[in-house]
Amino acid sequence: MKVTVKCFSQVKYALGTDDLVLKLDIGTTTEILEKVIREKAGGKLDGVSLRVAVNQKYVPENTELNDGDEVAFIPPVQGG
Amino acid sequence: MIITPQELQNWKDKRKSFRVLDIRPEKQRKDFPLNGLNPVIADADSIPKIEIETVLICQFGIITEGIILEQDLDSTFSLLGGAQAWETFQTEKQDLSRWSRQTVLPEIGLEGQKRLLNSTVAIVGMGGLGCPVAQSLVSAGIGKLKIIDGDKVELSNLHRQPLYGVEDVGRMKVEVAKEKLTLLNETAMIKSSEEYLNDDNGIDIISDVDVIIDATDNIQSRQLIDRFSKAASVPMIYGGLYRYEGQVAVLNANGSPGYSDLFPEPHLEVTRVLMQVCWVCCRE
Repeated sequence: MKVTVKCFSQVKYALGTDDLVLKLDIGTTTEILEKVIREKAGGKLDGVSLRVAVNQKYVPENTELNDGDEVAFIPPVQGG
Repeated sequence: MIITPQELQNWKDKRKSFRVLDIRPEKQRKDFPLNGLNPVIADADSIPKIEIETVLICQFGIITEGIILEQDLDSTFSLLGGAQAWETFQTEKQDLSRWSRQTVLPEIGLEGQKRLLNSTVAIVGMGGLGCPVAQSLVSAGIGKLKIIDGDKVELSNLHRQPLYGVEDVGRMKVEVAKEKLTLLNETAMIKSSEEYLNDDNGIDIISDVDVIIDATDNIQSRQLIDRFSKAASVPMIYGGLYRYEGQVAVLNANGSPGYSDLFPEPHLEVTRVLMQVCWVCCRE
């Protein structure tokens, strides 16, 4: 299945893109996808907590993904 | 030219010679009579020109401003806020005409404006977020504003914190902000606290407010505000930014999640350098 990952703030700069489309195994959860994203970031997201939203709604940890889902990883930001 | 209900009342009290022309349709004239003004009904397309000061009145004071400009009418005034503002002034002795451009919006209206005037908001942090938020709230008619910041104005603040100028560098931010905000709306009550929010002062500062605005620049402060917001059952509006991106959320409102529910982990280290990069863009 394919999911679109929307990247915001630190995630965007760590991955160098606004969004990416990933092919994932059926049954993949948000927790697994987060690990994939952190690996792709090559350590740039170490120590950064991420809130996950699927199809523009925040979801509990380890939510199972479906084909066509849009997943956003949202870090807290502290500028003011 | 513009005249407010209060100024028009002053004309009446001084028995000044003037005429009032009411250009509204019959239903509006019936629903909102111009008590105490003895208006003459007039056609908006052909305002009679005579040598006497004239006050044109429509329902909200917008059409009449346009007529005066288009027809280039001398000695003619548009009643700010129109018949709606006049009625409120007559019945409640409150001149709300300065806010007529927002009370005309049905989502605000006169009732909404009165709620704003009777509301208290606390802003924690008077930097790149706090300055424009405070300006908007005071201009919009918030009755009481509490501003909290222990910081002084620095030269590097000026490009994005529009309340401060070069001459203010070195002064306490809240002191300068209070002066500038009072110039925007002299009726707003502004209380400034030259300190940072902490465990000792937090409840006192926010206990009597309707909303607390988190305009700080660090996550520890956000977590602290979140705790006070929950404890005092006061909704919190949180804003934050990273370069060109911003986040905003209403938290702890009528049982909704708080900041700690959104980002529950004990926090991450973001370097000072990163924070400064964030600040560069905080006017966004």
